[in-house]
Amino acid sequence: MISAHLIREARLRAGISQAELGRRVGRAASAIGRWERGQVAPSLETTFELIRAAGFEPSVALARGDQHDLVLIRRALARSPMERLATAVAAANALGAIASVARAHRG
Amino acid sequence: MVEFDPVSLLRTLDRHDVRFVVIGGLAAVIRGAPTVTTDLDVVPATGSENLEALTAALTELGARRRTVDDPDGIAFPIEPDLLAVGQSWTLVTAFGDLDLMFQPEGTQGYPDLVRGATTEMIADDPPLAVMVATLPDVIRSKEAAGRDKDRAVLPLLRRTLEEATRRRR
Repeated sequence: MISAHLIREARLRAGISQAELGRRVGRAASAIGRWERGQVAPSLETTFELIRAAGFEPSVALARGDQHDLVLIRRALARSPMERLATAVAAANALGAIASVARAHRG
Repeated sequence: MVEFDPVSLLRTLDRHDVRFVVIGGLAAVIRGAPTVTTDLDVVPATGSENLEALTAALTELGARRRTVDDPDGIAFPIEPDLLAVGQSWTLVTAFGDLDLMFQPEGTQGYPDLVRGATTEMIADDPPLAVMVATLPDVIRSKEAAGRDKDRAVLPLLRRTLEEATRRRR
């Protein structure tokens, strides 16, 4: 849940406890905990209020949807961590080899 | 050009019993983000025993300081006391680039990250399992670092997190 991660991220980056964040917005620490665990989804307005209370300014922008990213994400998630690592390292080294050839041609 | 071989890098750290958490792009990859990275970021614990172990591992790896002017690296005295005074070290090793960060932006370092980290099997024959930071923690550090290259990858990481969370339900 995006709101849960954003609230937790803002609180941890601010270096404050759930109780302190709750105090700043007039809510119980247990309510903050439920939001952070994704047990309850706060409204967008409440999420922004919590982020601001932690000292950050939320920013939202609309971008064209790109289903290709989702295809790649689902493909990666279907692999084991070991397979993900091996795939990424092979890609990194292949790109590095291409860059070396390009540099050699320029030189 | 040195071939990037993070498994061999991590095996060396593991063999020397270095306590660390993998973070950054490689942690994102292990967590399922379809991205590519050419260096390994690790957050070591800061105790003196761990710094001794880290020193031994870096010596074996032939670690040198990586700079803009000298990508092959500059030799430096690898000593626990010296490592302890740097917040971060960008190194080149026999197995590729290694970045040590004792307190990545937006985090409180090893004790903060190891709380949520999980052990992930990243190689077999012989098996190798390492502590890997959670995707929310990787996002937190990249968001705080705020460099262009971090910001560029954040939408993909957030979408990966959203999809991974949806699949777990």
